[in-house]
This record gives sequence, C-alpha cells and structure tokens, in this order.
Amino acid sequence: MSAAPSSVAPTAAPAPPDIPVIDAPSVPFVEIEALRAEQFIPAAKEALTSLLAEQAQGKLIRPVFNWAGRNSLFPLHWGLACCAIEFASMFSARHDAERFGVVPRSSPRQCDLMIVNGTVTWKVAHKLITLYEQMPEPKWVIAMGNCATGGGPFRTAYSVVPGVDKLVPVDVYIAGCPPRPEALLDGILTLEALIRERGE
Amino acid sequence: MPTEDLATRLRAAAPETTATVEPLPGTDGRLRFPPDQALAVFRACQGVLGYRHLSMVGGIDWVDHREVFYLVWSDETRRYLMLSSDLPLPAPHIESATAVWPSANYHERETWEMVGIGFDHHPDLRHLLMPDGYQFNPLLRSFKLHEPEELEVKVRHV
Repeated sequence: MSAAPSSVAPTAAPAPPDIPVIDAPSVPFVEIEALRAEQFIPAAKEALTSLLAEQAQGKLIRPVFNWAGRNSLFPLHWGLACCAIEFASMFSARHDAERFGVVPRSSPRQCDLMIVNGTVTWKVAHKLITLYEQMPEPKWVIAMGNCATGGGPFRTAYSVVPGVDKLVPVDVYIAGCPPRPEALLDGILTLEALIRERGE
Repeated sequence: MPTEDLATRLRAAAPETTATVEPLPGTDGRLRFPPDQALAVFRACQGVLGYRHLSMVGGIDWVDHREVFYLVWSDETRRYLMLSSDLPLPAPHIESATAVWPSANYHERETWEMVGIGFDHHPDLRHLLMPDGYQFNPLLRSFKLHEPEELEVKVRHV
C-alpha cells in the first residue's frame, strides 16, 4: 500500500452554491474507497453527522417517513361514549379502516393518533392528558362528534369539558351525533392530507 | 309491618329516640328522626328491625334546610323503609351510616359532593363523580347553569 495516511487527509469538498457551509463539512467522498477499514467508520460517522447528511435527511428521509406515517395512523383503542360504537364499526368488514393502514393499538406508546370519541368529563380530563402525553411524537388528535368538539348537548353541564381542545391540541373536528363511520373515515383521510401538507 | 308496630318496636329497641313513623305508599313507612339520634336509629333498624340492606342515600335541598334520606330493605319482610332527617343550615351534617351499613360509603360521598351534606366519621369522604378540587355542589338549587368558561376547574393536579 503506497497510500500513506497523509494522502487521505480530509480535503474540503466543493460546496454547491445553494448550500451554506458550516465549519467546512470535510467529508472525503472521493477517497472513501481508498480508506482502510479502521478509517472507514469514523469517516462514515462524520459524513452522517455533517450538514450534507442533515439536508439529505430533510429532503429524502423525511418525506419517506411522512408517507409511511400518514398511511399507517395507529389510533388509540379506547372509547368514551356512544361514538365508540361508530369507531368500532369503522374497523368492521363493511368499512374496513385497515385498508388505509388504520389499526387500533391498545397502548398509547404504540399510537400516533388519538380519536376522542365521546363526552369528556372533568373527571376523565387528566387521564386523557396523561394518555396524550404518553404517545410518542409526532402525534395527532381527532375530535369525533359534537361532545368532543364542543361539549355537545352537555355544554353547560357541571361535569363536562366544553370541547376537548381545551385539553389537547386538535387537528380534525368531525361533526355528528354520532358521526357515521364514513364520516370518521373522511376525517382520517382529511388528517392524512393535512399531514402531507404540513410535511411533518 | 304496620307503622304503629314499627314505632313501638323502634321505641323498645332504642328508648332514647324520638323518631316518628308516618305512612309512605309502597313501603313500611317513613321514619323521621332528629339528626343527633342518627346512630341509635341506624343500629335499631339494622339490628332489631331487620333492615339489613341499605339501598340508597340521597339528599334534598329545601332552600331553608336540607334533608337526608336513607332507603333500607328487609330481606325477611321484603319491604322498604325510608329514614329521613331534616338538617339545619348552615353546615348541615349528620353521623355517617358506614359503621352500620358499610355500603353507605359511596352513597354518602355522592350526597356530600352533590348536595353538600357533611357526614361525620366517614372513613373516606372525598369526591366521587367530580375531580379533586371541584368547588361546587351541583344539585343545590342555588347552583345555576354556568357558561362553560366559569366552570373550568383545575384538572392538572400533581
């Protein structure tokens, strides 16, 4: 091997004009094949953590994650009131929400979507917040039905939260008392379009 | 059991009580007692008179006073009996029935929360239907339907 270690010293890569260079991300792309095995891993690490890798992550990996995430929304499998019946029938054979990748999960740690299906009382409010905080980011909330949207017929009652958006941020509201499963499917597809639009 | 017999048997079992029995359709009667004789009346009803089961506890807001009532059930005669007591304002309170009928626990918690009647020597008097820190008695006649913003309570308690 005539290549001395000094010949593979990092040289400044020519930066494209539209990418700002911070502290000269010196990634030896050209000479990377000439590196020995013990030199390859530190160089690869440097490449992954460099600015170019971050931009590649933003332009290539994030859209893939967005596409995968919005087509596999996992809602939390819980029910608060009669809207839960419509929620359940959305997963039945006639409506078959699984063709959109919507699969209910029983643990909030496996979910990225919370469908608040029913009347939220003040007693259950902090349990709902706890469940929401246990869900990993990114996460979305659908307020299903009139009760979750604004309290519904119980809006002035002494025990009912007048709209779940007082507790957690809501992305999609679905009207109805209760909404039919088609309306819930439409809300989920609206949320998918919203996620695509936001690029989360 | 006729109401006269009931009054007589109650006097025999608890001579210090001044309870009166009046007829109430569908039941053995309505037994009214002063609140300071509550424990003696409860013990007599549960023991000698045989009303082993407490079916419900409730409260009424009569604006100038409040009333607490107990519906008890006898398995021997298969009849109900209503016990009721008038509690003066302010701070209406009565002795808890949990020492006699343990099932009074939840009913008295609900009555305390909704109608604002205190139960002395209750083992676990805290909110049942409402979150901790709720500051209203919703079934009082002075309670108005609020705008939702006025009713926000502190729901995040650590």
